[in-house]
Amino acid sequence: MDHEPQPGPRNRSRRTFVLRVLGVIAAQLGLGISAPVVGFGSAPSWRARTPPRLLSESVVPTLRAQGWTSVGRIEDFEVGVPKRVAPVRRVVDGWVTREEPIAVYVVRRSGSKAVAFDPHCTHLGCPLQFVEGARVFLCPCHGGVFDSKGSVVAGPPPRPMVRYETKVEQGEILIGALEE
Amino acid sequence: MRAIGRWIDERLQLSALVTAFLDRPVPRQVGWFHTLGSATLFLIVLQVVTGIALSLAYVPSPDHAYESIAFIDTMPLGAVVRGVHQWGASLLVLVVGLHALRVFAWAAYKYPRELNWVIGAFLFLVVLAFAFTGYLLPWDQKAYWATVVGTNIAGQAPLIGGAVLELLRGGQQLGAVTLARFYGIHVWVLPAALIVLVAVHLFAVVRQGIAAPPRLVPLAQPMLGESRRAAYEREYAAEKHVGKPFYEALLPDAIVALILLAIVLAAAVIIGAPLEERADPNAVGYVPRPDWYFLDLFQLLWYFTGELESLLIFGFLTVAALVFVLVPFLDRNPARHPRNRPFALNLMGATVVAVLGLTYVGATAAPSGLPVVPAVAGMSADELAGLELFNAQGCTACHSVRGVGGSAGPALPEPDAKWEAERVRRLIVSPEDEEMPAFDQLSPEELDRLVAFLLSLKPGSAP
Repeated sequence: MDHEPQPGPRNRSRRTFVLRVLGVIAAQLGLGISAPVVGFGSAPSWRARTPPRLLSESVVPTLRAQGWTSVGRIEDFEVGVPKRVAPVRRVVDGWVTREEPIAVYVVRRSGSKAVAFDPHCTHLGCPLQFVEGARVFLCPCHGGVFDSKGSVVAGPPPRPMVRYETKVEQGEILIGALEE
Repeated sequence: MRAIGRWIDERLQLSALVTAFLDRPVPRQVGWFHTLGSATLFLIVLQVVTGIALSLAYVPSPDHAYESIAFIDTMPLGAVVRGVHQWGASLLVLVVGLHALRVFAWAAYKYPRELNWVIGAFLFLVVLAFAFTGYLLPWDQKAYWATVVGTNIAGQAPLIGGAVLELLRGGQQLGAVTLARFYGIHVWVLPAALIVLVAVHLFAVVRQGIAAPPRLVPLAQPMLGESRRAAYEREYAAEKHVGKPFYEALLPDAIVALILLAIVLAAAVIIGAPLEERADPNAVGYVPRPDWYFLDLFQLLWYFTGELESLLIFGFLTVAALVFVLVPFLDRNPARHPRNRPFALNLMGATVVAVLGLTYVGATAAPSGLPVVPAVAGMSADELAGLELFNAQGCTACHSVRGVGGSAGPALPEPDAKWEAERVRRLIVSPEDEEMPAFDQLSPEELDRLVAFLLSLKPGSAP
């Protein structure tokens, strides 16, 4: 019986004190555990990033600076008609780096000029398809339509199709990084 | 066996608790509609159990995810377990929605159960998050493209969109990091949230008692000067007084669970779990479509267009979620019977109709293509053939006819232009406007028909 703590003014203030200390320790424990965990989990949204954000890039993981890749001889392309090619490029995806074909639409312009498009809608990233008869890129999701120059002609896409840097050397069409 | 039970009970003193739990009185009308809550719980348990089983063989990496899923399908009962998980998920979204509707219709979120509505609303959102993250894991075409679209929608939020997108994907790209992330969220983060929320939700149900279905004339009227709590307790005591023991109410619960299990098992065995082609970021001609429970949202994007699209989508979804969570605090009407809550019930009806309508339109919509100008009565064969060409050649991408078609080029026929065969024909083959491609690949016969159709559009010409 005499082990029972006596309910008295002194004990009550001790009780309050102990509970407060427990509260402070609990808060510190919580903060100490959650700070690194929440920080790690949310890191992708606040860590410093070098390349600017591009919708098409976020769909097809492509290493930006990887030099130039040939997509074919210029004489194999008909002027003004987008042609789908799949050059093999180096792709960095998280901890994996691999060589794999990337879908690109290449349009030969008059003479020895060419442009190359990433075939993803600038609205929500759905895969675009070039329709030969209509000469437009169609998005199957929400009715986005681009012409063969990559400009928006209908639907919700906010921007023209994203292009690759392109140059022609010795009759060879080369693509570089995605343009910003 | 009985001796073992007695031995355990002597130490843990459980039987008194169990008896009190089973025999406690609940309102008499607690019945079949109340089974939606327990059905939700049952389906959650089903998802947890089958999910754990699937995790034994699934690998969350783009190199192996699809192959490991395909491997699961080849293992004995693998396809069944995966089918139960997939169909169970669909059913769970449906049942949790119906559960929320029942609670809303019967005003069970009103005093003193406001907090439990809020917790339930969060549970609903957690279930949707489960569906969204679970979706990507098979790494097939549907999984990949639904996640591309879904994360891009979130990424459209004003100002914070980019950060949200990267938070979801674990970076700018949708790839290996995203898959590992979604897996971690699906099997650890969300289940942790689910367990805590479900525990609190159920604790509140037991602590507060099951809400009685509303009566037009309550069993007990509040007395003058009585506190809200006292009045409520008197009324609920009256409900329990004429009530029945809880174990009676468990019977419909158990029967519904049995029926749901039969449905899910049947779907898993007969239909199985669909798996499309392996995810291909370079796909051409693939038509991304989400599962039915996100079709309404997918379809909604058709109607929110223009400069303010991202703001509209983000604002709409945020407001909708907030309104849903805060229902008990927005609805200040103390009445509980549906007949005395016309506004709330109409709002609920309108929401249900909108969701069903959008889902239906989304489910039946063909993949979006070029606008198609319909034929009208009285067209000649040549004009009809011309109209077909007009649609097939993609003219509608830029030109509108009778209000159908794009706006990049002029609507046809141009009101002021000289609209005669010679000129129309020339403009098709070699346009004056350099924005328009030359349609010089058409044969002379095709051109004749196309021109015939276009001339028929001239006001005053027949039909």
